Amino acid sequence: MTESGASLESLRALRLHRRREALKTALIHGALILACAACVYPLLRILAVSLRPGDRIISTDLALIPQGATWASYVKVFTETNFLFWLWNSLVITVATSVAGVALASTAAYAFSRFKFPGAKLGLSLLLGTQMLPAGMLLLPLFLMIMRLRLMNTYLGMVIAYSVSSLPFSIWILKGYYDTIPRSLEEAALVDGTSVFGAFYRIVLPLSTPALAIAFLFNFTQAWNEYLVARVILTDSFKYTWTLGLFDLQGQYLTQWGMFAAASLLVTIPVMGVFLYSSKWLLTGMTLGGVKG
Amino acid sequence: MLAPVAQVLQFALLIGAFVAVLEGWLHYHFKYHERNWFIPAAVLGTAALVVFAALWTAGGGVEAGRVVSLAVGTALAECLAALFFKHVVKGRHSLPFMLLAPAMLGLAALIAYPMVFEVYLAFHDLKLTTIMAWSRTGDLPFVGLKHFRKVFTSSPLSEVGFWELSLRTVWWTFINVFFHVAGGFVMALLLNSVTRFKGVYRMLLIVPWAMPQVVAVLAMRGEFHSQYGFVNIMLSKTAAWLPFLKDVGVGPVQWLGQHPFLTCTIINVWLGIPFMTVVILGGLQSISRHYYDAASIDGASAFQQFRMITLPLIRPVLAPAVTLGTVWTFNNINVIYLVTGQAGGTEDADILVSALYKAAFAFYRYSYSAAFALVVFLMLFVSSMVWLKWSKGSESLYD
Repeated sequence: MTESGASLESLRALRLHRRREALKTALIHGALILACAACVYPLLRILAVSLRPGDRIISTDLALIPQGATWASYVKVFTETNFLFWLWNSLVITVATSVAGVALASTAAYAFSRFKFPGAKLGLSLLLGTQMLPAGMLLLPLFLMIMRLRLMNTYLGMVIAYSVSSLPFSIWILKGYYDTIPRSLEEAALVDGTSVFGAFYRIVLPLSTPALAIAFLFNFTQAWNEYLVARVILTDSFKYTWTLGLFDLQGQYLTQWGMFAAASLLVTIPVMGVFLYSSKWLLTGMTLGGVKG
Repeated sequence: MLAPVAQVLQFALLIGAFVAVLEGWLHYHFKYHERNWFIPAAVLGTAALVVFAALWTAGGGVEAGRVVSLAVGTALAECLAALFFKHVVKGRHSLPFMLLAPAMLGLAALIAYPMVFEVYLAFHDLKLTTIMAWSRTGDLPFVGLKHFRKVFTSSPLSEVGFWELSLRTVWWTFINVFFHVAGGFVMALLLNSVTRFKGVYRMLLIVPWAMPQVVAVLAMRGEFHSQYGFVNIMLSKTAAWLPFLKDVGVGPVQWLGQHPFLTCTIINVWLGIPFMTVVILGGLQSISRHYYDAASIDGASAFQQFRMITLPLIRPVLAPAVTLGTVWTFNNINVIYLVTGQAGGTEDADILVSALYKAAFAFYRYSYSAAFALVVFLMLFVSSMVWLKWSKGSESLYD
């Protein structure tokens, strides 16, 4: 009798406990859903604006799929602006910058990872130090240099201005990765008669493909999304990168809001896809490079 | 006449340095210099490079003189590089220096040289009225410390002064980093306590970070529009539903016009939380469950567990992220410029770096902004040295 009473008691306590737990989980899920909504909502609003018909682009309507939704803004982006030029310019500049950045970083990181030479430590900390420079500090002399070399409004000028901005980070990421590759592999290759450079080129580089990909992606996203340097060096609308084009679309008239939204979405979706796909590795690469001293 | 020559020389040197690096690479990899066909191949390669460069810069209105100088510079660099690699480079450290050379040359040309140039500019007088003469002759009048004095006495823009900007920068950095870390902690703890849909939540929560920043900021800026932005629509709807809130002052706000700093801060907090969330979540997941089990057996409350287990164990992950976040926030021109940067925009949200950018490229006060940049650099340098020393000191307390 007492036993069954005790078990009934504990059953009741368990049920109460479970109910409390369920309530807690529900609250947590609710908070997370709210936070997710706050994160995604601006993107959905862009989608809504981009689908609005021409006479209702400016409105206080909050519907996600507006009445009379059309693709007209998307068509207008391609026919009435230089959007394709902007995308092409961004692509050329970004690819050239990333290739140059990764090529420079891959050999430099190898030197830091495998060799002892005077100034190695100083060099590494100076590299980190460049991240501490106030933003825009070097832009003025760079701008004047590029102006005097008559490279304003050229791809070359942009690539020069961008090329070393992500270099310190890339070197740190790659060095961290090289450090994890056992030296015995290279030593075996050296015994078999390759040069040191051959060992680097034929063994270490192929093994570091993931890290190289991360460094490339990092360079790529940095250059692809850059705005302030481009604003200074590019003045001709045909030479604009997409960031400049978007800013001008959004800045001038409210009537271009629809085109701005459509163009934003077209640029954002591939970039976000790549980012979400690679974010895990990007972050491990960053923390690996940052934590390892 | 002097300026174009110097300019051409500069350009030739740049190309020459590039070729020299290429040479070194080829030499180390293939031992090209010892082959018979090296000379013809080098000449052909040079010719191709020159033609390519000529075509590339043709749009920029480059005269024949530069192309010729390019050819001469390249050929010269060829010879020098060949001699250099054949006879000089045999030391113990030659290989690492070879490997470093391309990156170091790039950093020297694009970071070290501009730094020196910046100092030169700060002591001379380059502004809109002298820039034409400068680009012809390359001469600038020396003005000494004049610009440094002006940094502290006159505004980089039209009203706001240096000290006000500094204070605002400190406030901006502190408040942003605080909310980034606090928000990141809340989100990470929430995420860590659910099992279902975790991946979906995580993916949606990093959307602000994943979006191109220009798009994200401009879209958020649109949402703060006084009439058509989401924030004000919601505020006026709330005020219409619950009239008593109107008396407390709830209603549409001129976000961009009257509260630009607040708007920028909200947008930047929204942008920065995802990064911290992901970093902190990574740290939380690496903490073993056993610590918490042991602590709850000993009767520690949730807060005590957080204070005594989570915080100390997450420190190695959090500390670099906070340092990085502080530097990023201090240096954040993007948000402020994109929100307030249009012509005739407000100055009430500007921090040091955005004022610097505007002074140089909207007000064309080149030398002044060079001096301004140096002062900001010095402030940043001193404070990061102090921070390094302090954090090293406190680290030794922990170990």
